[in-house]
Amino acid sequence: MIARRNRMIPALFILPSLLFLGIFIYIPLVQNFYNSFFDFSVFSPTKEYVGFSAFQQLLGDKVVMTALINNVKYAIISVIFQVAFALILATILEDKLFRRIAPMLRVIYFIPVMISISVIALLFNFIYNPQMGLLNSFLELVGLGNLAVPWLGNATTSIYAVIAMSQWQSIGFITMLFIVAIQKIPKELYEAANIDGAGKIRQFFSITIPQVKEALFVNMLITITGSMLVFNEPYILTNGGPGTSSMTLSVYMYQQGFFKDNMGYGSAVATLIFVVTAIFALIQIKVSGTGKDE
Amino acid sequence: MKKTLCFSILLLLLSTLLAACNSGGEQSANADGKVEIDFFHRWPNEPRKSFYDEKIKEYMEQNPDVHINVDYVLNDAYKEKVRVLVSSDELPDIFTAWSDSFAENLVSSERIMPLNEVIQEDEEWSSKIIDSQFGGFTFDDTTYGIPFTVDGKAFFYNKAAFEENNIEIPKTYDELIEALDKLQSAGYEQPLVEGLTNTWAISHYLGTIFERVVDPAVLEKDYNSETAEFTDPGYVQGLEMFNELTSYMGEVSTAIDHEAARNMFAAGEVPILYMQFAEIKMVEEAGDVEFGFFDFPEVEGAKGDPTALTGAPEGWMVSKNAPEETIDFLKFLTSEETAADFTKTDGQLNAIEGAVTEENVNPASLEAYELITNASSTAPWFDNAVNINVADVFMRGGQSLATGQTTPEDILKEAQQEAENQK
Repeated sequence: MIARRNRMIPALFILPSLLFLGIFIYIPLVQNFYNSFFDFSVFSPTKEYVGFSAFQQLLGDKVVMTALINNVKYAIISVIFQVAFALILATILEDKLFRRIAPMLRVIYFIPVMISISVIALLFNFIYNPQMGLLNSFLELVGLGNLAVPWLGNATTSIYAVIAMSQWQSIGFITMLFIVAIQKIPKELYEAANIDGAGKIRQFFSITIPQVKEALFVNMLITITGSMLVFNEPYILTNGGPGTSSMTLSVYMYQQGFFKDNMGYGSAVATLIFVVTAIFALIQIKVSGTGKDE
Repeated sequence: MKKTLCFSILLLLLSTLLAACNSGGEQSANADGKVEIDFFHRWPNEPRKSFYDEKIKEYMEQNPDVHINVDYVLNDAYKEKVRVLVSSDELPDIFTAWSDSFAENLVSSERIMPLNEVIQEDEEWSSKIIDSQFGGFTFDDTTYGIPFTVDGKAFFYNKAAFEENNIEIPKTYDELIEALDKLQSAGYEQPLVEGLTNTWAISHYLGTIFERVVDPAVLEKDYNSETAEFTDPGYVQGLEMFNELTSYMGEVSTAIDHEAARNMFAAGEVPILYMQFAEIKMVEEAGDVEFGFFDFPEVEGAKGDPTALTGAPEGWMVSKNAPEETIDFLKFLTSEETAADFTKTDGQLNAIEGAVTEENVNPASLEAYELITNASSTAPWFDNAVNINVADVFMRGGQSLATGQTTPEDILKEAQQEAENQK
């Protein structure tokens, strides 16, 4: 009796979360995959089966290619700035030298994370504004006026301007995760390294990085999948424009589905996003071999 | 004991979940027996938000057994939200809609109430609505919407700037280019401006240009998604004209929105702006420039209609499942009294006879009103006239053209392909 009850209770405990996951994640996922084989708009009461034609269209779609490249740019730049730079930032903040002002700096870096993305996008709209924007005014002030361009209105700079805003916003979050990881490193390791005469930089590479490997992996996963899914920032700042120069996959999916009424094709784009993120996640799990304690 | 506790907690969790799913159902009468009307419009901005809030209050006082729930989101978001709502049973009882393809799409959902009977039953009310404005809401002889605001688009110019530089109002497109050149050499870095981040602004330009350069018969064929081809060489010419015009707009145009462009015009920084009549009051409030307007000039040697006015009405639609009282509220919203108040408050012109007079609008708007109601023909906004997928090719193409990323030929090729896909 007791043995049976013991088996029942854990199952009951996970039941609510399974239920929620099922209703809000797995069922929509399967439904989306199913939808991508149909051609329908939000207005039409019927769906027309079209087989793989949406996926064929996907392969020949230049905008998908642009969007994918933009997402990859997003991922690369985010890994460099958010993961690499955040790790350095976290190490500096945890250093003895900064012990006094570190709490204050931590708060400062974390504030952007707590501001709504819409507010941030509006703020950056002012910063990038070509007529009275902070950025161009600053460039002119320091004599670099010839570098001032309409950042969001220029096809070559728009996606970078959007990416830059994301970095500013998210670095605090990743830094915070690294700080937590660094605080868990036993102090003895650093003391021993000090006695052995290792410098700060040597300590960083030989102790900090190996010790936060797990966090490093998680943060990379967060940033890369986040970059593949990025929607709010380009949607609010540029809506993918000018032309399609700052389009990302999610924005394109949304526009196909809700602006151009191609729900089927939108679903196909969503499936592509899912496949891409799944592949990235698998690669990372394989490469880092996490979960196995060494 | 433990087991029962477990089950009861689980049951509790499940029941709250189910209850949450249930509460979204339709409710046409609320607890105290009042009829509820869901009203959805697209003006969270002033002065219209307050105007409608006031009118709702007034209506509810007159009809104590009716309760009106109001909801609103801004332009582009509105388009998206209505599309989502119309695909579900959550469609509001009465809501605002654009004419032509936007209206047609909504109608194709089969959730919109046909209004022919309502119009015929109450002639006293319906005869006051200007007849020509019903066109954009009528499909297969069935009318699905009541037009309310009317609008048109024209070039607005700064009178002082034109006088100082001895510029006549351009009658042809070449004269317009000459005028722009003169203004540029007179020191205006950007003699013309537009907020090209708003893709609808591009579609307004392109729509009018195509009206001028493409044969009306060809346009009619191409605006119908069943027969659209977009092979006429006039489209390339039109896109080239648009490209030429953007070269006068300066670098900033692709980074600002229409509102910023309007403010630049109102501040006297830019002497010419392509603008809707609905904006007259906003310009007057934002600055003190003296301005006049002229229609998009004729293009010499082109096959298009030289005088067609671009502009389309916006109006109200009613959901098929709406309670009866909604019709009464619709009549209230489109009554002469409401319409006169509306134009007085907002400045936008309306389609109700007798509601636009010298008393409630300024002379410029009155002149515009006469232009709209007397125009030889009116052309709908381009993004409402053609299939949205094709319109998007032109609108995004227009942005890319302005930033030098593409050519008119490439845009047209893409549009042809997209038109083919839509058949």
